[in-house]
Amino acid sequence: MHQPLALQSLVPTDSTDIMVIANNPVLWICVAGVFGVIILQSVIFMKAARRAAPSVEMSPQDIKTSFRSGAVSAIGPSLAVCLVAIALLGLFGAPAVLVRIGLIGSAAYEVSAASVSAGTLGAKLGEASYTQSVFAVAFFVMSIGGAMWMLATLILTPLLRKGDAKIRSVNPAAMAIVPAAALIGAFSCLGLTELPKSGVHVLAFIVSAAVMGLCLLLAQRLRRSWLREWGLGSSIVIGLAAAYLAVGS
Amino acid sequence: MSSTTSAPVTITQTGMADFNRTTSRWGQITMIAGLLISLAGPLFLVFFGGLDITAAQLWIAFAAVAATFGIIWIVEPLTYYPVLGPAGMYQAFMIGNISSKLLPAALIAQTNIGAKPGSKRAELAAVVAICGAAAVHLMSLAIFVGLLGTWLISVIPPSVLLVTRLYVLPAVLGAVLVQAIVSMKQPRTTVFALLVSAVVVFIVLPLVPSLAMVSTAIAVLGTILLAWFFRCKEAINEATPHV
Repeated sequence: MHQPLALQSLVPTDSTDIMVIANNPVLWICVAGVFGVIILQSVIFMKAARRAAPSVEMSPQDIKTSFRSGAVSAIGPSLAVCLVAIALLGLFGAPAVLVRIGLIGSAAYEVSAASVSAGTLGAKLGEASYTQSVFAVAFFVMSIGGAMWMLATLILTPLLRKGDAKIRSVNPAAMAIVPAAALIGAFSCLGLTELPKSGVHVLAFIVSAAVMGLCLLLAQRLRRSWLREWGLGSSIVIGLAAAYLAVGS
Repeated sequence: MSSTTSAPVTITQTGMADFNRTTSRWGQITMIAGLLISLAGPLFLVFFGGLDITAAQLWIAFAAVAATFGIIWIVEPLTYYPVLGPAGMYQAFMIGNISSKLLPAALIAQTNIGAKPGSKRAELAAVVAICGAAAVHLMSLAIFVGLLGTWLISVIPPSVLLVTRLYVLPAVLGAVLVQAIVSMKQPRTTVFALLVSAVVVFIVLPLVPSLAMVSTAIAVLGTILLAWFFRCKEAINEATPHV
């Protein structure tokens, strides 16, 4: 609406009311579909595991114990993911957050993918240039990115099952350096890109980074892994609180 | 890969062969279904949302993200395969949050039933544990994000919502960057990454604003090249036997 003229040529001029299209009923149906597929898969895998259990001397009690251990140990990490997802609701809306951040992907990748795609349209997430079209393109790219992970899994799993030694011995040095460099390079560039936007952006970035650093340090010192799990969620909430105070003052 | 013992070989093999057949067939079917359904939503918005989006915009945005994360798409499945096993792969890459949630769940279950890592029992325990983790996760997502979160958005003051929308990005990325640096444990690469990114963001972009589209890709490529050419050779050679 109040976009500078320069942006109007790049950004499709349409509404910035993201929530209207982000909560489209069709998207909610797709959320239900993904939930349904995961439930179906779990039921089939559980049945298969129960059938195979006697052949590897695994008792029904072992199955029960395994299921319960998995469920209980997932409570903490799962709630931590929910906190991160809630913080992102205002940006992407519930259906996109549920499928992208809650399930298939993770906050780090999806937020980065959305930010990069918005950038190619000359727009910035959450700001005046973040129109419905920008949201749709970002959501599309997040989803097709997630699809690439699944595609890689679908192609590589049968290959790895046949002869994993060959593929994994590609080049140990390259496998150690290249992925780490790609990840740190991507996240540091995306992070630093936030800084020139405003002083409050700088504050939110630094506070969140500091809280994460503290969580990881304490997790290591005190040997409390829940600090690591809740690191992202608490960093985001405290970073946002700092931004809110700075804006209000 | 085979770790079967001598006596009950045939029973074990037919039992596990059946399990492998079922999980790989249905793992593939469900994963393809999940892939298609997760794409259906955004495709619907793009084509029927009444928005003005061109195919070129989609391709450029996708290319920029592929240049950033393309390597990770392939490397992650390779890294997790030895821990998850083939059946677990189809579960994990659809449920997500693998390292923080699914791997601990699998490991705890294996410990609790005393399954030796790499054994068939351990493989089954991991699959069952991931089912348990998925059940808890789907439930908490539906309750806390689907119901509670949607309600929360409708009651919090607009000023808070506005701040969240404006500043959630730096708040996520600050923490994610620190997490990536700490978990990768590669100080040399970290220095290159920060250096390259700073040059791109604070020097190159102000001079050539049109490069904004590919800035992340430039930073990723630059970091990979520097990290590769100036890698610490002794450390890598030492690490090789463990891989």
